[in-house]
Amino acid sequence: MLVVFCTKGALSKGCQEVTRAFTLMSATMKLKQGSFLWYLYLDKLYCLLSVRNVKALLEYFHLLDVHHNNTLNDVLFYHFLHHVTSWNRTQIMIVFNMLDWNAMGEIGFDQFYMLVCILLAQQNHLEEQFIFRHSRPVFELLDLDGELRIGAENFHMYNFLFNIKKQDLRELYHDFDITGDRRLNYKEFKLFTIFTMDKYQERQKAEKDKDKGKKDLLKKKRLHHVNVSLKQFLGINVSESRL
Amino acid sequence: MEEKPFKASLGSHGSDKSSPDNDIRNLWTRSTLSQPKLNVPRSSVGENSDMEGGGISLKSRRWYNQKAGRDSDGGWEERDDGEDKGSFKQEDLNESSLLELELRRASSLGSRLGEDVDSVTDTEMSSSESSLSISKHTPHRAYWMEQQNRLPLPLMELMENEALEILTKALRSYRSGIGRDHFLTKQLQRYIEGLKRRQSKRLHLLVH
Repeated sequence: MLVVFCTKGALSKGCQEVTRAFTLMSATMKLKQGSFLWYLYLDKLYCLLSVRNVKALLEYFHLLDVHHNNTLNDVLFYHFLHHVTSWNRTQIMIVFNMLDWNAMGEIGFDQFYMLVCILLAQQNHLEEQFIFRHSRPVFELLDLDGELRIGAENFHMYNFLFNIKKQDLRELYHDFDITGDRRLNYKEFKLFTIFTMDKYQERQKAEKDKDKGKKDLLKKKRLHHVNVSLKQFLGINVSESRL
Repeated sequence: MEEKPFKASLGSHGSDKSSPDNDIRNLWTRSTLSQPKLNVPRSSVGENSDMEGGGISLKSRRWYNQKAGRDSDGGWEERDDGEDKGSFKQEDLNESSLLELELRRASSLGSRLGEDVDSVTDTEMSSSESSLSISKHTPHRAYWMEQQNRLPLPLMELMENEALEILTKALRSYRSGIGRDHFLTKQLQRYIEGLKRRQSKRLHLLVH
């Protein structure tokens, strides 16, 4: 059994600091080895945690919830992310502002769960799958202004959270901005996730075929080697019998 | 006299009721009294051991093995074979039936006070024997009950250690941000101290 996300309502927020964060953008985030999150894993198909993993995560969340509000404030959130990830302060606060979709100044368990799934997706290289499976919550997360459209500056956020390369972003706007308003609505975004997922699956298949090809080649070489040695052996025997 | 073991366990039950920590020894002393599911049909006993608890205890052992060498897909709940579930069911049945027997004997003992001395002595002997055999099973049952409701102890320890590190750093931020005397800072400090006390208590139990 998997635990699904609760989607947020669209709220207005500025995204200038988001854009700024993207210039500070770094390499892929890595979870700290041996940390609690490091031991969790996502279901590879649905990119969600199982009920047991969520139970453990909930226990962990309650351990951090020192004020017994069922929330984490910005200080606790910062120290948590600083401990388990390689993100810097600016990146962490960007994530906090993004997740604080109720503008309460605190993060509840729903948002915490979503964040953990995003972190694990990045850790296990399941970003494309994650965005495909959860396109609606991701879209709402990125729609900071609540206009039901995502501009290019919002999309830089993919690099930060979902590891989307610049090339892919250019393709995104070139190929999927059907309405031509230089922003993507949900349908356009969904098309993009489907396209990205197809590309990801093709890549997986190509890698599998490559591995299979290598194995077949190795097998052929071995067979050839065996044949050669057999022939040599038989050749020797025949010559002996003639003698 | 034959009531003494039950009075002792009643006493311990009363005194431990206020304890928030649910020490496993409390479970053991209360196990002869707290048998909510003794008369549950056999099929549901099997169900109960099939539920998360059975899984968790099985998985907690696997978790020990996976913790050391996690390569790719390792997690503490992987590989759900349930191969030991059959043996757990059988053990649970035996324990529950033994405990039920003990309860019945206890109630019959209470009603027979003042009757024939020989018969009382005989029942005393048999009840002491049965309580001995039950005491052998009780620790396992208490462990099993704990595992049904809790996460594995190594996982809890890992989580608590990590939470302690995070919260200790957060405390420094609180002190520098809102001051030492702020109620939130004090609350955090008390919480950290409580966590450390719990950890040292667990360590002390493990050592002894």
